[in-house]
Amino acid sequence: MPLIHVAQLCKTYQVPEREAGLGAALRSLVRRKTRAVKAVDAISFDIDAGEVVGFLGPNGAGKTTTLKMLSGLLHPTGGAASVLGFQPQRREAAFLRQITLVMGNRNQLQWDIPALDSFELNRTIYALPAAEFRRTRDEYIALMEVGDLVRKPVRNLSLGERMKMELIGALLHRPQVLFLDEPTLGLDVTMQRRLRAFVAEYNRRTGATVLLTSHYMADVEALCKRVLVIHHGRLLYDGGLSGLAERFAAYKTIGVTLDADTAGAVAWDAYGEVVERDGAHVRLRVPKAETARMTAQLLADQPVIDLTVEDPPIEDVIERVFAAGTAEASHA
Amino acid sequence: MLHIARLTWNFFRIGILNELQYRANFFIQLLQSLIALAVGLVGLSLVFSHTTALGGWSRPELLAVMGVHLMMGGLIRMTIQPNMQRLMGDVREGTLDYALTKPADSQALVSVRQIQLWQGVDVLMGLGVLAVATLQLQAVLSIRVALAFVAALLCGGLMVYAFWLILTTGAFWVIRMEHIVELFDGVYAAGRYPVSLYPDWLRTGLTFLVPVAFAVTVPAEAITGRLTSTTLLQAFGLALALLAVARWFWFFGLRHYAGASA
Repeated sequence: MPLIHVAQLCKTYQVPEREAGLGAALRSLVRRKTRAVKAVDAISFDIDAGEVVGFLGPNGAGKTTTLKMLSGLLHPTGGAASVLGFQPQRREAAFLRQITLVMGNRNQLQWDIPALDSFELNRTIYALPAAEFRRTRDEYIALMEVGDLVRKPVRNLSLGERMKMELIGALLHRPQVLFLDEPTLGLDVTMQRRLRAFVAEYNRRTGATVLLTSHYMADVEALCKRVLVIHHGRLLYDGGLSGLAERFAAYKTIGVTLDADTAGAVAWDAYGEVVERDGAHVRLRVPKAETARMTAQLLADQPVIDLTVEDPPIEDVIERVFAAGTAEASHA
Repeated sequence: MLHIARLTWNFFRIGILNELQYRANFFIQLLQSLIALAVGLVGLSLVFSHTTALGGWSRPELLAVMGVHLMMGGLIRMTIQPNMQRLMGDVREGTLDYALTKPADSQALVSVRQIQLWQGVDVLMGLGVLAVATLQLQAVLSIRVALAFVAALLCGGLMVYAFWLILTTGAFWVIRMEHIVELFDGVYAAGRYPVSLYPDWLRTGLTFLVPVAFAVTVPAEAITGRLTSTTLLQAFGLALALLAVARWFWFFGLRHYAGASA
């Protein structure tokens, strides 16, 4: 039995709809028109205990809605979900005690008091034994290296420092399932890396399951072996990150290094599109199907010193997936 | 229950920590309370410069009503109102999600998170006015009267809480509801006088629409020896009924909660 089981899960919102302008606004007072918007449209997947899964999709794809259904905040309009054997929307205490939800754009720590006091509050909410609570808290504080910050009022912390505290607060009850919605939003690269490392370490120590959404591919690349790509509420891809490039990338990049004298005389356009040229080093974009042939030709034609074949950056791949998804949706 | 009690205590402690950082608020509140008290006293003496009784209520009796009004108002603004305002804000900003993913009774949790300590000044001042009124009344405060008063106060407070929660739950559908705070304050101001002084339609409204009568007049009746056991039982029954409705409506609202979008 998988830890998270999602079958044909749907969520439809009724959104009020009206034309712009005063007349339309007045009309809508009397008769409110609504339109059904399918935020999540029959998605299915299973996640096993201990997996760290990345949830990718553009804004409005249905990622947050899915996370909210899995954490019990929203009632699905169709299909079924089970997390740890519970039906999330019933919000049983035994279920809520084992999960946590972190949203990068919203904080839950009390603004005017030090984080330590907010942690204490969580101890009461989760009814944690004092000794165990202190051990966990101090362990996290050491891991995050925030010992000198926990006594400052939260409002005096930087965004990154605050996010560290948020994460500590959200994990004090040692949840088995983590729903992280853009946890690194707006943070600088170093801070992103710290938070990532913390989540990875937590997963390693506790074997917890993590479902993560992020717009920063670095988060996903560093943490997730598996990704779910969702667009317009539908699941487009479920599998390894590398498989994503294999399936959706239409081209590869060939990096070639010649000696400086020959490089200038070569007609590169015959081999592929030049993406970058730096003295004797050239990067070419080649259709995926042509990669092998072009590589052979380059090696045969030119005095090659070094040659590499790379997948395009994952951001480019994702963009292609979304573009494909949009085309698919508009055909449907 | 024990869990809720612990939670309440912890939030109370943190609320005090929060409020102690804003000591200036204490003096502002003190000033506000004194002004409110002065206005109330001037109003009373104006009325009683023309007459010796108002609808059967003597001057010290009306003073008692004023005391209860001040005290209950302080209690409402100290405990009920800040929680409900925070709840409205949480619904608007989506931070309610955090409260709803906690393993605690959601209604209890959203009802005990906030406290405005300095509003306690009104509570103390109300108690003071009430003490003066009782002295002037030269009434003997038996244990029975004291218990009836506390019971009436409790029922009235619970009714106001249930009333507020029902209104606030409306925020699940109507996102902007801040103005109901002013609406409530306006109606509550009417409670400064016993509701029996008002015309029928207004009295009914102040009893059953907004439970001002039960929050102020009924406890004051207890102090002034007018409270019948029937009224107290009614208050008790109505408080229970309103609480049940509020709880049902809260969970009904939660099922419709769509959350603020990402």
